[in-house]
Amino acid sequence: MSSGSGNVQNGPAVSTSSKKSLRVFSDDIWKNKTAKINAELFTLTYGSIVSQLCTDFQRDFNKVNDQLFAMGYNIGLRLIEDFLARTALPRCDTLVKTSEVISKCAFKIFLNMTPQVSNWSNNKDVFSLILDENPLSDFVELPMDASKELWYSNILCGVLKGAMEMVQLDCDVWFVSDVLRGDQHSEIRVKLNRILKDEIPAGED
Amino acid sequence: MAIQTVLIINKSGGLVYQRDFLASSTKLSSNDYLILAGTLQGVTAIASQVTPKALQISGSNLSKAANETEYSIPYAGPLGVKDQKEDMGSFLPPDYFTDSFASWSKSGLKHVTTDQFSLFLYQSMTGMKFVAISTQSSTSNMAVSFAENFLRKAYCLYADFVMKNPFYEPEMPIRCELFDKKLTEFVQHL
Repeated sequence: MSSGSGNVQNGPAVSTSSKKSLRVFSDDIWKNKTAKINAELFTLTYGSIVSQLCTDFQRDFNKVNDQLFAMGYNIGLRLIEDFLARTALPRCDTLVKTSEVISKCAFKIFLNMTPQVSNWSNNKDVFSLILDENPLSDFVELPMDASKELWYSNILCGVLKGAMEMVQLDCDVWFVSDVLRGDQHSEIRVKLNRILKDEIPAGED
Repeated sequence: MAIQTVLIINKSGGLVYQRDFLASSTKLSSNDYLILAGTLQGVTAIASQVTPKALQISGSNLSKAANETEYSIPYAGPLGVKDQKEDMGSFLPPDYFTDSFASWSKSGLKHVTTDQFSLFLYQSMTGMKFVAISTQSSTSNMAVSFAENFLRKAYCLYADFVMKNPFYEPEMPIRCELFDKKLTEFVQHL
């Protein structure tokens, strides 16, 4: 191990402190340490799940939204372990840092995309993720009856909620716009309710 | 450093996984292991509550950079990974990670040495605890960082073969053969 500043620069411990190094760090993990599959397989699998749910719930799209959210939540509870094992990033001390890790690192590793973070509320407890491209919704056109009610990629909201809950951030996550509904861009809103201080494991500061 | 036992403790202090890798190790009943896991959980919590006065005073004005370097664990090389063609789940060869990384446990129990063996404890941000008991009594920092590397890899295996198993219920005892197999191979290659 080399000592001094050179090593500190490369380590993940400080990579959140500068934007560039977090990006370089996540690019490296995505490129060199994560197995890859064809994205179309993923897109089409998700598509078949959603269409099956629409049939099962007899086109009651509010129920489909809820079900997708619940499925995502269960994924998030588990996916966070994979994310942490892969990156070993330190705990985020502000929501700003959390938003950077989510957009530059988590989305990059699992979906190979980097949403933009914007629309911060004044007290920095609500932010938006703007998805320019969304691999889930490639090849998708919503049918007429669904275009006002269904949030096609609602599973993502559930994943974010579940994953953040496991690191003691109690959040609300919801879609506010979606290109599939004819909006300019897809936007996910994330609101931090509170930090579950009692549940932070002993020994962490 | 031969690993004698690996334990995994969930965030509520329950033992979810226990495995002996050496036949000769003294047999404890599964109930004893449960008690051991609960005790470790309690001792970790107590250990993080008692801090030397000097650190309590200087802790607040320690610069963050110094803090981060101090808890950074160096990468210890391809420990336990047999060769580059090995199937590594959702990870790509040559190794699960190749950077130094920060320890999540800053003031909890990390290492216990006795004259017969040493116990190492790795804690994830979600509160899972990974415990390895090695047959050597070691007090060096080197051994601790080796153990943290080994246990982070065990955490990677856990993330792959336990969390991605749809029939595994979180917080419940781990009964996943694939995880067993991978972990055993991994310990044998150490």
